[in-house]
Formats: sequence, structure tokens, C-alpha cells
Amino acid sequence: MERPADSFVRRPLAHAAVGLFPLLAWEALFFLLPMAILFVYSFWRMRDFRLEITFTLDNYAEIVTNPFLWKAFVLSLEIAVAGTIVCAVIAYPVAYFIAKRAGHWKTLCLVGVVIPFWTSFILRAYAWKLLLGEQGIINSGLLRLGLIDAPLAGLLYSPVATSIGLVYGFLPFMIMPLYTSIEKVQDSWLQAAADLGASPWRAFREVTFPLCFPGLVVGAVFTFIFAVGEYVIPALLGGGKSLMVAQAIVLEFETQQNWPGGAALAIALLLIILAMLGLLLRWVRMEDVL
Amino acid sequence: MTGEPGTRRRPGWLLAHTVLIYLFFYLPILTIFFFAFDTKPIPGWPIDTLTVRWFGEGLQDPQLLEALWASFWIAIVSATLATVMGIPAAMALAWLPIPGKRLLMGVILGPIIVPPMVLGLGLLLLFRLAPDLLGAIGVVIAHTTLNVCFSTLILYSRLLGFRRSLLEAAMDLGATELRTFREVVLPLAFPAIGAAFLLAFTGSFGEFIVAWFVAGFARTLPIEIWTWLRYILSPKVNAIATLIMVVSITLSTLAQLWIIRQARATARG
Amino acid sequence: MAAAPPPPRPTREIAVTVDRVTKRYGQTVAVDDVSFEVAQGEFVTLLGPSGCGKTTLLRLISGFIEPTAGDIRLHEGSVLGVPPYRRNTSMVFQDYALFPHRTVAQNIGFGLRMRGVPPAAIERRVETMLELLNLSGLGGRRIGAISGGQAQRVALGRALVVEPAVLLLDEPLGALDLKLRKQMQTELKGIQRRVGATFLYVTHDQEEALTMSDRVAVMSRGHIEQLDAPLDVYRRPANPFVADFIGEANLIPGRVAAVAPPLVRVESEHAPAPLTASVAGPEVKPGDPVLIVVRPEDLHVDRTGTRTENAVRGRVRDVVFSGPATKVVVEVGPALSLAALVRPGEAPAADGAAVAVWWAPEDAVVVARAAENPQQSLK
Repeated sequence: MERPADSFVRRPLAHAAVGLFPLLAWEALFFLLPMAILFVYSFWRMRDFRLEITFTLDNYAEIVTNPFLWKAFVLSLEIAVAGTIVCAVIAYPVAYFIAKRAGHWKTLCLVGVVIPFWTSFILRAYAWKLLLGEQGIINSGLLRLGLIDAPLAGLLYSPVATSIGLVYGFLPFMIMPLYTSIEKVQDSWLQAAADLGASPWRAFREVTFPLCFPGLVVGAVFTFIFAVGEYVIPALLGGGKSLMVAQAIVLEFETQQNWPGGAALAIALLLIILAMLGLLLRWVRMEDVL
Repeated sequence: MTGEPGTRRRPGWLLAHTVLIYLFFYLPILTIFFFAFDTKPIPGWPIDTLTVRWFGEGLQDPQLLEALWASFWIAIVSATLATVMGIPAAMALAWLPIPGKRLLMGVILGPIIVPPMVLGLGLLLLFRLAPDLLGAIGVVIAHTTLNVCFSTLILYSRLLGFRRSLLEAAMDLGATELRTFREVVLPLAFPAIGAAFLLAFTGSFGEFIVAWFVAGFARTLPIEIWTWLRYILSPKVNAIATLIMVVSITLSTLAQLWIIRQARATARG
Repeated sequence: MAAAPPPPRPTREIAVTVDRVTKRYGQTVAVDDVSFEVAQGEFVTLLGPSGCGKTTLLRLISGFIEPTAGDIRLHEGSVLGVPPYRRNTSMVFQDYALFPHRTVAQNIGFGLRMRGVPPAAIERRVETMLELLNLSGLGGRRIGAISGGQAQRVALGRALVVEPAVLLLDEPLGALDLKLRKQMQTELKGIQRRVGATFLYVTHDQEEALTMSDRVAVMSRGHIEQLDAPLDVYRRPANPFVADFIGEANLIPGRVAAVAPPLVRVESEHAPAPLTASVAGPEVKPGDPVLIVVRPEDLHVDRTGTRTENAVRGRVRDVVFSGPATKVVVEVGPALSLAALVRPGEAPAADGAAVAVWWAPEDAVVVARAAENPQQSLK
């Protein structure tokens, strides 16, 4: 029907306002307001353990000048990027399998991917500790099998461990959008490609891959966003030597009692994330993925 | 499926890879699970003898129990609040023409985009101005803020497919908007509402970082575990963790299956 | 612009009055200054192609949208601003909109329950309705367990049981297969007659409209082109659009030479002698550009090709057999082909033969047309 969209409720805007009010009021108070406070704090200064209300950009400058803070940012970005790439590479075949090969098991497979996500993050991170530690399972196993002489110390408390933990934690976020995208590639298109003489690999490169690109981008951006701001995983698995941004923030707040400094770090982190999101929205339309 | 171009070519590695990844997913979960039954006070390989004594000890530990109870009621309250706020919001977003809907959805999804630690920080600063809110209430507020995004999103995507003609038919036959909500929307959206509630509950139950910031002196179970993790590695933790995991998995599986059953029912009806 | 609609029989009460209703969506005009009345117990159909405004009109009457201008009146007076749940109209939706979580009986009784009818009375009235619709015994069934035809009747019953001032039907038979559709058309008409309800029906299927209605409103682009009994719409179309939309029509352009009511003489480039047809609605004067409308079944084929009275000459281009009749397509000019239906038993003309096609004057009608690109031109 060509009929232009109309609402079946009278005064739709009034109804919409009423429906959205509780949510928006709550968000304004408990999300927007805290963010605003954080923003304001970042321009204040901590002098002699007392909060001084002023306007200064020193906290932000610190990020660049202080090697400790700067390294934390850089490390976070590196680990996030590395983790995202690893995630993408690992996730793609899984998403493809579920979308195209799982058949009747498709639902079960999807549910299976999501369920670990709903068990406590902390517990699973803790489990990695058990697995990777010097007395952990992997080392004990390798020792017993005679593959190594001494336990591998570098498994735990290292950027490697952090990366493994991140990949583990965020793989579902990569798999799901990829799955959605790949699912949309119809078999008949691939058959048509084969009909026209394309080898399976060629068909993949020319048909499947470009079409699931939006899913890939969405997955990558979200994985990156979650990874760059993560605290628990590096705190449990990363060891104390190299810290990620989130850990640096906690340090500023707890140990240094430098609230404005911590706030500035948090806002800087937020800006990076918003920038990534902005890029995402520019490249990809959500309709392609959802 | 048969006759598809790629079928004959290397079917094995795709499956093998996928199976490996699934193992990867469940490895930590199985680890916790098995170590909960280990007799040794410090978890380590190999597991010689099994016992259920840690479960008993864990369930009798007053600190753990208190934290468990706190997690539980905080999860219930925040899930309820989130669902109650999410339902009307999802209805408005799914059914009514609203200018700037995309921007609005961006704002609504904000709390999950923002790193949880940043949210925790912000709330901490906010609560310093109202110190009574630090503690369990603060955790409820924080979790509600997080949960309400998920609830709204889940309900929104379910309500998008809701047949509007059903609502129109009810109104046409004499039901006011409110009555239509009670008679048509609630019963038909109930599985989605239930699923949203369950997922919110599970999420809140296991959430750590934001809770940590705003809990003050209150302890939720993840906070309790965190403290233990840093200093003591006790099998009691494993035992309790296993219990939680079993509960979480059961609940979230139920929720997922509910959602799926709903999707199938709508496809038919 | 549009001629005043002929008033329904004066002895009946008016159920619905649509008074100069316009509905605008921004720049688009969905309904443009439409006026008509539906009498109590009448079956009126709004017929037209997609986008003509018929469904919009229905939704205006049911209360889901408000007119930009104009008034809508039911028994109680103007219903402007009155929400759907307070109007005494009920609707049969295109997808039936049966509540999946309720039984057949609960669906049918829904409206009664909303009106506060006591449960015993509800049960009684639902039972009566089930009988009327040949659904006895199905009251306890879940909606998922009934057939398409049954669902259609449940939807009808649900709307009918509340005894609305007018029952609005939005293309309710669209989802049924052909045979079931025809069956339901008869049933619907029968139920309407038996109950004495007022039906306002919307469809794009003109056969359906002609079969069931007391009057048909042919709509196009927000206007009512003609509102008349089916026979009149068919045999005496008011303008080229109606002529072309209803059934198949042969349209022969020409100019009025002389008017001698009830006949009119038309000069056309396609015929050597002036052609005669009847006058239908609007007045035509000599010199007016017109179209002669002849239905294929009224067009006869003269295989000798010699006839000149009311005849047009041409060559047979196509002979199409289609069961009950054979259609002969005759090319009479570079841009004009006429179709004639030949009954079985009559030998059709041979392909390529030179023939003449002719009609009786009372079987053809003239309609006015604008000289070039009229607003109401053929689609």
C-alpha cells in the first residue's frame, strides 16, 4: 500500500514522550550527569590533596608528557588492535561455519556462543589464571608430557596473557555481527557465481567477503572499544609491569588520589571511543548489520 | 546445502576450527567446574580425589553468603527497574514516529558503549555529592543504568515485528490504549519481557567493575570474589563460582530459548 | 468537479456521512474533498487502484486518522476527534488481526467484553454469531488451529457481533485462493443481507466490487470518480478512467457532431460515417471531444467487412481463446485496436482478415474527454 506511514495512536508525539520519559529522565540523571561531572572534573586540579576548582588543561597535557600515562595509552591501543585482529581472524571461520554449515544446529551454536558471555566475567578471568599460572593446568600438563623442562613463566602476568583474555572475552562480539552479515549472503548468489565460472575461493573473495564487510567492521569496532577500556583482564592477568589505561585510571584515583587526573584520562579514553564510533557510523549503516 | 560450490573443498578444517574455538570458550568454565570438586586446598593439577566439601564450606561462609544475598536482591531490583522503564520506551521507539530516532537510540545505548569503568567513575563522583547513595543502593542504580539499555534494545527488536493490526483491532473494538496494552501487548510480549528480565538479572549478578566503584562498603559477590582473587586462592571460591555459573547458564539458556520460541511463534502468527 | 452523488433511497436512514473530507500528508493529498453517504443496510464498495485513497478513507471513518478538513458523521453526530474505541464502527482487517493468544470464542467476544456486556450475554451472542457463520463448535479452538476461510469468518464475526453502525472491511478476501474468494463473496453478501448490517468495503478487485455491492464508488487519486449501482458503473461510466478501470472497454475517440437524446452522433477519424451511441451522465455539446465506450461483449464482428452503420473497419490482429468466449482483436487504426468477444458457436474471424466491428447504439456510451492529457486520463 502506498499510504504514507501514519500512527494508529492519536497525538503520537505526546504518547512517545510519556513512554520515553522514565528512561530518558533516568539516563539524564545517572548517565549524562555523571559524564558531565567527569568532564568538569578533568579541568580541575589536585593541589596538596585538596581539590582546587579552576580551569586547566594540565591533566590532559600530562597524558602526553608523563611517560607512564602515555605508555599506558599506547599499550592499550596496541593490545586492543592486536586483539581485534586476532579476534577477527579467529571469529570469521566460526561465524561462517554457523551461518553456512551448521544447518539444524544453527540455533544451538549461536546460543552456545552467547552463554559463556552471561557467566561472570570475573570468574572466567580467574579461570584463565588457573590455566596459565606456573602451577596452572597448561604448564602442569606440558611438564607431565615432557614437552618442557621448566614451567613457562611468561604465560601469565604478561601482555600475552592479557591478549588471550581479551580475545576470549570479546570473541562473541565479533562472531555475532559477522554471523548476521554472512547469513545474508544467499546461497543462490554463490551458485550464480559458480555458474559464471568463479572458483570457490574467487566467489568468496568477490561475493561473500565484500558483503559481510559491514559485519566485520562493526564487530571490529566494538571489540576494539571494549578492549581498549578493559580493566579486569589486564588487572588479573597482565601483571604489574605494563598497565593499560583502565588500570592507570584506577591508580590515579586510588593511589595518587588525583581525581582530576583520573577524570582526564577517562575523558580521553571516551574521546577515542567516540571517534571510533564516529568512523563506524560514517562507513557502515546500521541497517546493513542489524 | 549439497551442491553448494564449497562443499567438497576442505570441509574438515572449518569444522575443526569451530570445535576448537568452542572448546576455547568453555575451557575456563570447565576448569572452574572441575576444580570445585578438587580435594586439595590449593587448586592444581592433577586432581586426585574429589569432594563436595568446598560447597558446604562455601555456603556456610558468612561473608560469601552476605555477598551472595546482596548480589541477588540487587540483581532483582535493578532488573525489575530496567524492565519497567524499558517497556514503554521500547514501545515508543518501535511503534511511534519520532524525530531524531537514531540520535536518541545512540544516547540510550550510551551506557554500554562507554567503558564500564568510566561509568563507574562518573557515578562515584556523582554519589560523592549524595553520600547516602554509595553502597548497595548505588550498585542498584548503576546496574539499572546498564541494564535498561539491554532491556530496551531486546524489547525494541521484539516489538518491531509486533503486528500493529492487532493493536488497531483491539482499539477498534473498544479498548483504550491502556487496555490494549494489558490485553494484547503484555500477553504477547511476555516471553520477550521475561527474557529481558532474565538477561538483566544475570548481567547484574555477574557485573563487577561498576559495582566495585560505587559499592562503598557493601559487597556484591563479584566484589567479594575479586577480593579473594587478589589475595587468597581458595576452593571455596571455586565452589561458589561453580554454583553461580550453573545458575547463570541455566537462566540465560532459558532466556535465549524463550526468545527463539517467540521468534518462531511470530513467524507463524 | 465531481458530480453530486445520487442520493440513496430516501426512505432509509443514513448510517455514515462523509462531508467534504480531505486528508493531507505534508504535500501529498491522499483524500481530496470527498463527500458521500452510506444508507443503513447498504453495501457500498470503495474501488480503485493502489494509492487511490480508499484505505485512507476507511481509516478516517474508523478513527485511526483525523481528516485535515471536512466532517464525518455517524448516528450520534460528528465523530471528529473521537478515538476509535469510542466510535461505533468496527473493522475487518486485511490480515484478520485475530488475537493469537485467545480462542475463537474469546476473539469474537472481545468487543462485547470491552463494552461491559455481562458474561452470560456474551456467551449467548457469540454462540449465535458462530451459528450464523457456520462455525458452530469451533468456539474453543485456538486461532492457530483454524483454516484461512474460517479465520476470515471469525474476523467478520468479531466485528459484526458488536452491532456497529457501519462495518468497515479492508480487502478482507485478499489472502484467499480464487475459489474460496468467490465462495466468501457470496457468503459475505448473504450475511450482510440477513443481518441487515451496513457494509463499507474496500477492494481493488472490480469483479468483487460489482458482485457484492449495492453501490460502487470508483476512486482515483483521492477523488470519487463515480458512485453508482454496479450496473450503472459498468454500462454508463462517467469518465474515461471509470470506463477503463471497470471491465474491459473499447474506447473510440471522436467529436460530438449532434446530440439527440438519448442518442448522440460522433464523428471519428476511425470511421467514414458518424457513429451513434447513447448519452450517459454529463451533458455533451457538439464539438466536445469524447470517447465512445463499447464493451467487448457488445461489439459484433462482421466477417464480410462490408457493414457501415455504427461500424469501424480494420484487420484481425489476434484471436485468443479463453474458455467461455473467444476474443478477436481488430486493428482499426495505427494507435487503436478494438476487442470483440465472440460467443462459442459463432465462427471467429481468420487472422489477418479484413472485417468490420459494429454495435447497437444503446450498447455504447459516450464519455467526455479533455483534448490533451486530461487529469482523469486512462492509466
